[in-house]
Amino acid sequence: MSLWVQIVLSGLAAGSVYGLIGIGHTLVHRLTGIVHFALGDLVGLGVFLTLLVTAGRGPVTQATAATGRFALGLVVALVVTTVIGVASYLVVIHPYLLRGSTMGWVAGSVAVAFAIQAFLAALFGRPAYVFPDPIPFHKAGSNGIVTVAGASFQVRSLFVIAVGIALAWGVSVTITRTRFGRGLQAVAEDVTGAHVVGVPVDTYVSLAFGLVGAVAVVIAVVAAPSGPFSITAGAILGVKGLIVAVLVRFSTPWAAFAAGLGLGVAESAIASGTIFGEGLGPAYREVLPLAAVLLVLALRERARRPDVEAELG
Amino acid sequence: MSGALGQTRVALVEAGRAARSSWRPAYFVAAVVALLVVLLPWYAPGFVEIDTLAGWVYLALAAEGLWIAAGLAGLPSLGQGAFMSIGAFTTALLTARADWPAEATVPVAIAVTLAAGLAVGASVVRLPRLYVAVSTWILTWLVVLVATEFPGVSGGSQGYVVTSSLDPTGHYVLAVVLTTLLVIAGTVLQRSTVGVRLRALRDHPAAAVRLGAPREKLLLGAFAASAAVGGLAGSLAVQLSGVSDPNAFGPFTAFKLLVAVLLGGAAFAGAGPVGILVVGGIALLVRAWSAAGGNASAQLEPLLAAIALLLVLGLGSEGLLPAASRVVERYRPSRRTPGEGGRLIRRRRPAELRARGLRKSFGGVHALAGFDFHVDRAECVAIVGANGSGKTTALRALCGVMPVDEGEILLNERAPPGPAPLAWVDAGIVCTLQGTAVFRTLSALENVVAGAALHRRFGGPFRAMVATPKARAEAREVRAHALEALRFVGLDGNADEPAELLDSHSQRLLMLASALAVEPRVLLLDEPSAGATAGEATRLGAVVRSIKELGVSLVVVEHNLRLVGSIADRVVVMGEGRTLSEGPAETVP
Repeated sequence: MSLWVQIVLSGLAAGSVYGLIGIGHTLVHRLTGIVHFALGDLVGLGVFLTLLVTAGRGPVTQATAATGRFALGLVVALVVTTVIGVASYLVVIHPYLLRGSTMGWVAGSVAVAFAIQAFLAALFGRPAYVFPDPIPFHKAGSNGIVTVAGASFQVRSLFVIAVGIALAWGVSVTITRTRFGRGLQAVAEDVTGAHVVGVPVDTYVSLAFGLVGAVAVVIAVVAAPSGPFSITAGAILGVKGLIVAVLVRFSTPWAAFAAGLGLGVAESAIASGTIFGEGLGPAYREVLPLAAVLLVLALRERARRPDVEAELG
Repeated sequence: MSGALGQTRVALVEAGRAARSSWRPAYFVAAVVALLVVLLPWYAPGFVEIDTLAGWVYLALAAEGLWIAAGLAGLPSLGQGAFMSIGAFTTALLTARADWPAEATVPVAIAVTLAAGLAVGASVVRLPRLYVAVSTWILTWLVVLVATEFPGVSGGSQGYVVTSSLDPTGHYVLAVVLTTLLVIAGTVLQRSTVGVRLRALRDHPAAAVRLGAPREKLLLGAFAASAAVGGLAGSLAVQLSGVSDPNAFGPFTAFKLLVAVLLGGAAFAGAGPVGILVVGGIALLVRAWSAAGGNASAQLEPLLAAIALLLVLGLGSEGLLPAASRVVERYRPSRRTPGEGGRLIRRRRPAELRARGLRKSFGGVHALAGFDFHVDRAECVAIVGANGSGKTTALRALCGVMPVDEGEILLNERAPPGPAPLAWVDAGIVCTLQGTAVFRTLSALENVVAGAALHRRFGGPFRAMVATPKARAEAREVRAHALEALRFVGLDGNADEPAELLDSHSQRLLMLASALAVEPRVLLLDEPSAGATAGEATRLGAVVRSIKELGVSLVVVEHNLRLVGSIADRVVVMGEGRTLSEGPAETVP
């Protein structure tokens, strides 16, 4: 029982990140019908820009991090990722959407992903970086770990889960309650219609791309101190966000967030060896969910007899 | 025995003549270039590293394999890195764990990647193209993660040692020869009927399916073939490097290969090697710069490759080869002269089509609410009605592209053979799309060949590539038939023109010609005159009448009542998903 509390808490903390990136993929897909392959790398960019401002290019320790600089770093990262999110839509996605070239936006958005990775690799030479914790969770309990009723867990995982849920709620409120959000919903339903009734479609969609990047960056920065972060970690987060969005067929933000939490818990259960036995230990944690989603995609689509033309256009 | 020998001799002589007549100076240049490239190790200066070069040529092989899926079939695959990895690990595991000689593992590596390609392809080719990109991207990450998380598979950070009996020069020559052969095979495949249909599916999937192209089968074939070539390249590349590396062919390789195909020009066979030449050139520049004491790190390579791609795509170019060929085309005079309509020989009889009690609802909307319909042999029935009365839905139901909730459809009083829509097209129920749904990058003649290809029996990719006598005779027949159909609508003068350069009236006629080439027994036309001027509609009417005179049963959904009056024997007025009234063309207002 106490082991399961541990598994669920650490799983939910990791899953919040996947869930928020999943929300991003869902929004992007509903608005434009595409997948932004660089979304995860935008998150990576945000994390490393924050690190750059907070502690410079070298290796850092907990002691060198100051809360003020961390806040500044977060702001810089937010601004830059928002700008690059907007720019990536305007430069590498929108032109190909207009031309109806799937190949173009697929290659274009993957190009952005590798351009970001190349830029980061040129700045940061080590395989992985420790991200200093701006909030002194390590002072709570024994080195940041508390034991409640036999279950030990990182205190900060509670914080990460809380921030994740708050952000997911924030995105959902933005979409349903604000003028901007209603405009986006109109675009998702019917682009031409939205245009006719005066929604500035391109501006709103580019802003949504920025928003998506920014929200994911916040949660990633919040979660990053939990473990070492590498240059390609963002890309992997992006893939995980993508598989949860695909799993719920890009239906709604909350569904994607829930699937993200589910993926996190599944990973942590696999890693602990509790659901498939010790034989399937940590090595399977990354691999099994990906394989499972590929399988689900295959079986789900085989079961369906689609109206071919509705999808072919 | 001597009879067979004699036949073979005749066939060979004929093949030789065909080869001579289709020989072009460009082929001579290509052959000289290929020869110079193969012999490079014997005259290259000392600083050229043949092993590095051989590695790049294996990448070119994998890229040319990807071209089959991405270029020819238009599937945006990010999975070629994964297939290279699978090929490489198969070879590494068999040599390191089971002591196989490296060469013997190649067929196994091809078989394993082919199987993987079929397994992944079977689901992704059913989906919209977006999911092709997503699934193959997930696959590439899955393979990399398996390789890094399970040292037993990849040999871990040490890697498995793979000893090859070929030295780097041998590998280089092998790589160049294989790549050249694949480019030649690709060129032949692209022009074959299979290639034409794949390109038709790339340009306009829905229209290609309506002409009877077996979409899933063709795309799966292209995807699996492309995977198998990736596996071959991966298997040989790991033999060249001598040691397996879990990260050798990850997402970045997948991206680089797709970039190569796009840079080279997805529409052209040979895009792979040309693209790799550019990407490799970038890598060389980066290395030269850092060797010269510049500040560039190897990390710049992806950045520059990305920028090169965005530049080429962003400038509106479709790749380097198409850009170059456009310059050549400008200086080549057009060869054909326009004709003036002609006869089309029909080999099939008109059929009668009947529908009883068709029902179809979308959510709460009853698009078809008990629709009864029939068209007699060689009759022309027009369906008219206000927008939203269910005309197009009726047409889509009648030709089987949209399954109905209830009701039956009978061809000559019998249920058409399933499954719809492909078997229905084969049985002679052919339906066009609204507007000008042509395959824009295909020539007018190829547009029609995409339809005429339906009744080929010897048109498989392998027969086409080795050009068996039967396949060649049949290909000639198909082209002749297609040209006949073009002449019938008066477009034979434009046979070699890309469809996108035709005016919209010609495109409408071209769509009719493609549908005619399928040899329909019942032809259903969805608003053939949409967007046409009054004069164009009149000319279109004349063509539709002559189609009827050929002996084809016609069902036409049309808004233009003057056109309806000039072509229809009977008019059906639809409203709220059922027939409101019907009668001879003169009696319906």
